[in-house]
Amino acid sequence: MIKTRIQKSCFIIFLPLFLTITFALLSSSYAADIGNCLLCHKYPGISRVDEEGRMRLFYVNEPIYNNSVHAKVKCEGCHTDIKEIPHKPAKKVDCLVECHIVEPSTEKKFSHKDVEGFIQSSVHGKVDKDGNEKKYAEDYPGCKDCHDNPLFRPLSFFKRVRPGISEQSLSRCKVCHKKEEFVYQFYNHVTTRLHKSRNPLNIAEMCGRCHDDPALVARHELSTKAVISYGETFHGKAASFLDERIPDCLDCHVNKGDSVHQMLGHKDPASSIHKDNKGKICATIDCHPSASPKFATYGVHAEFNLTQSPAQYFFTFFFIVLTGGTLLPLMGVIFLDLLRRFFPHATIGRRK
Amino acid sequence: MKNFFFKIYMLAFMALVVFFMVVIWKVTFAHILHEYSNRKQAQEISKFKEEREEKGKKSNFEKIILESEERVKRYLGYRILEEVRIKGHFHHIGFDIGPDKRSYCINCHGDMPHDAVKELRAFLNMHAFFVGCETCHVRLDGQEKTGIFKWYDRKTGDIVASPVKKSSPGSFKAKIIPFEKINGTIQRVDSQDRIDFALEYRSREESLTEAQKSRAKKLLHKIVAKQPYICEDCHQTENPILPFDAIGYPKERIDSITSTEVVGMIKNYTKFYMPNMLHPGETLKK
Repeated sequence: MIKTRIQKSCFIIFLPLFLTITFALLSSSYAADIGNCLLCHKYPGISRVDEEGRMRLFYVNEPIYNNSVHAKVKCEGCHTDIKEIPHKPAKKVDCLVECHIVEPSTEKKFSHKDVEGFIQSSVHGKVDKDGNEKKYAEDYPGCKDCHDNPLFRPLSFFKRVRPGISEQSLSRCKVCHKKEEFVYQFYNHVTTRLHKSRNPLNIAEMCGRCHDDPALVARHELSTKAVISYGETFHGKAASFLDERIPDCLDCHVNKGDSVHQMLGHKDPASSIHKDNKGKICATIDCHPSASPKFATYGVHAEFNLTQSPAQYFFTFFFIVLTGGTLLPLMGVIFLDLLRRFFPHATIGRRK
Repeated sequence: MKNFFFKIYMLAFMALVVFFMVVIWKVTFAHILHEYSNRKQAQEISKFKEEREEKGKKSNFEKIILESEERVKRYLGYRILEEVRIKGHFHHIGFDIGPDKRSYCINCHGDMPHDAVKELRAFLNMHAFFVGCETCHVRLDGQEKTGIFKWYDRKTGDIVASPVKKSSPGSFKAKIIPFEKINGTIQRVDSQDRIDFALEYRSREESLTEAQKSRAKKLLHKIVAKQPYICEDCHQTENPILPFDAIGYPKERIDSITSTEVVGMIKNYTKFYMPNMLHPGETLKK
């Protein structure tokens, strides 16, 4: 009986340890580095300042790369001009290139080519519907303005074992799928896609790089600094506390079922934020299912700004002053009372 | 005893009250002040950018300092990855090392100083990350030569134990510095006297005449060799300049950096891209 308990205890203690070590080893062995590029590019200092004065860092953090969605892509898959080592300065990566990975549903080579079409027809495209270049075209984003290498955010309900990875789920996969690398990648890929691939706060920060830039906002005659005003709302506050379920920019600004790259301007009748469609976005089953269309008429992007939204400004200011002005003196009085109890006979000056 | 516990209780209560005061301050007035200062900063940066753009040219300072110092946090659920964000950079960096506060060379030359040889500059900057400038650019001969090299901490400048076995390749928080023999005493090449001289020159540079500046620079660079050590001086099995074993490199790392793979690549570079690397004068003559 005792022996069985000891065996059980050993099993409980060592199983997670064994699995952790296994996955640590696995994660470091998934390098797509068949060309041995990391011989040089594993060194953090491999860098230079280019002719434009920009810092160019050629370092690839292998463990992080192996936990990214591109982990299976060989270096040459993106850096297509590099055929030999040592190599000449590499050309700029074209994100729309076909890489060696085969897309399983069509069995064609994988490419981000479709995204180009989505972007061009969206509010972020550099050309208008007539094919003419938009004013201030250089302000419109390229791939890397919004994306760095996307990292896996595996979903897990078993966070006590090892955050982010569910060994229990993986063990089920392994019953049928024998190749551990496949299981690890597939699990990460699928569970990452089962929820937001980026935290709402990260999404807001990404959008804010352009949409909070006062100069850009002024140039394009936008009505608000979008992420600053988002931060003033309940949604923004919850996002700042890292709530994963809260709507971020993409949840409201993209029609359900569309690619996030198909974002349309508020004047476009097909846009999710067009005045006729706004109510539907709030009233989705995931958010406020019983909300009426009027629910969406409040100033979602009202800034704490006297000029843009005077009513909200005075309302917010009043409550901040009321809260701070009441509670802070109250706490001060309590503190002084406690101080007197602590030093009941203390005086600042000697009494006559 | 009762009085003692009462005092402890009072202290704890006071600490709790102060804690609440800080929290209330943060969610009310500090929140406003913080946002106000952020907004003002963003406006100032934006105004500065506009002014620069109007002049038609962005300075390197603005591009590198203002645009590359943004720090970001990626919330991955199971961990938070915090790193510097370099605009337009795709791959994640994933850690910070911090500036080298000991080196007086980088005050003028920067910490990515190599730029002249196009094919080699990134490699040289990579080495400059963990090899002190003097290690390659000072050739000690005769009695000055000790053959001693040690690691110094990038932050404090103090000599520290070898970090090689504890860190991944090249990501050390320390750099290698040579030691010289002066009047029978063994000392590090980046001695305090040399640092003080360089710092004083920097602080008084504007008030010096051109002749004085030239003289100061000459003295500062007196120890710098015309021809620094090159790749093959260390990446070789026979008598490399750096005593890898003594500075803490394990055998497998020594085998790796002196392997035919690395040495072969250096030879390829020399042969195909920099045929004049060993004879730098010849390019100029042509």
